[in-house]
Amino acid sequence: MSAATDALGSALAAEHAAIFGYGVVGARLTGAALAQAQQADAAHRDRRDRLIVRLTKVGIEAPAALPAYALPFPVTDPASAQRLAVQLEERAAAIWRVALGPTTGHDRRLALDALTDCALRAARWRRATGQQPGTVPLP
Amino acid sequence: MVFTVPVRKRVAGPASRRAVLGGLAGAAAAVALGGCWPARDKPAARATPHPLAPVVAGTLAMIDRYQATMTAYPDLSTRLAPLLADHRANLDALRRAMGTPSPSATASASASASVAPDPAGAVAALHAAEQAGQAGAAAACLAAVADYAPLLGSIAACRATHVEVLS
Repeated sequence: MSAATDALGSALAAEHAAIFGYGVVGARLTGAALAQAQQADAAHRDRRDRLIVRLTKVGIEAPAALPAYALPFPVTDPASAQRLAVQLEERAAAIWRVALGPTTGHDRRLALDALTDCALRAARWRRATGQQPGTVPLP
Repeated sequence: MVFTVPVRKRVAGPASRRAVLGGLAGAAAAVALGGCWPARDKPAARATPHPLAPVVAGTLAMIDRYQATMTAYPDLSTRLAPLLADHRANLDALRRAMGTPSPSATASASASASVAPDPAGAVAALHAAEQAGQAGAAAACLAAVADYAPLLGSIAACRATHVEVLS
């Protein structure tokens, strides 16, 4: 395994965790917020699938999802669900950011697109929780 | 050596006709000056620009743009100040990465940005600038060495969130 495929493997693990997290988030939301969570969940699944294809193509066994992931705090209502959504996106963004270093070409493009999408979703969730404009300088 | 200095300065690769002529012109000028060129005053080789320099320049221009817009339309300040703060933080991060410690050392090189004659137009201009800035930072990220790619990617992602806020 190269540094690039190592980084993509870490990104895949982060996507698995985000997908698990959105299952918890979605269970506490309704209406527009639920739709936002479902869109985010679908985007993370799409990224996961692309990573599995990418790693498999170069003969690397893609890391599987864990049965469960520890949550950073109890999710009991819509507010805590949206706070978790912010964290899920921030954590995934941080992993993708790291992946930019060792990757090149199409892999770096994949990482940059993923980082940008995570940053956009994190900002949207911050705005949903009342933070304006909800941006951060270095997502 | 009087004659070699201007020639060396101009001829980097194979000597083209223009370079040779330029060198001769420089040599003639040196003769016209009629003195010896002290060795320590030889023109220094031009330093290669730092790979992050274009992104720094773009960030400075963006900061100018925001400041000019907020000066022209103080009512927009509440909305724009957090975005301006992001750009300032980006500038600090770029300078740290370049090892340029003093923020005051690099004054803004661009002239004060012009502002649209109405607030909606001014916000639209910022939106367009953020879009162009995102594309520029993304291209820089994709072309960067490993050390700079994460920072440039984060700056591109930050600008993408600004585009959405200003939409």
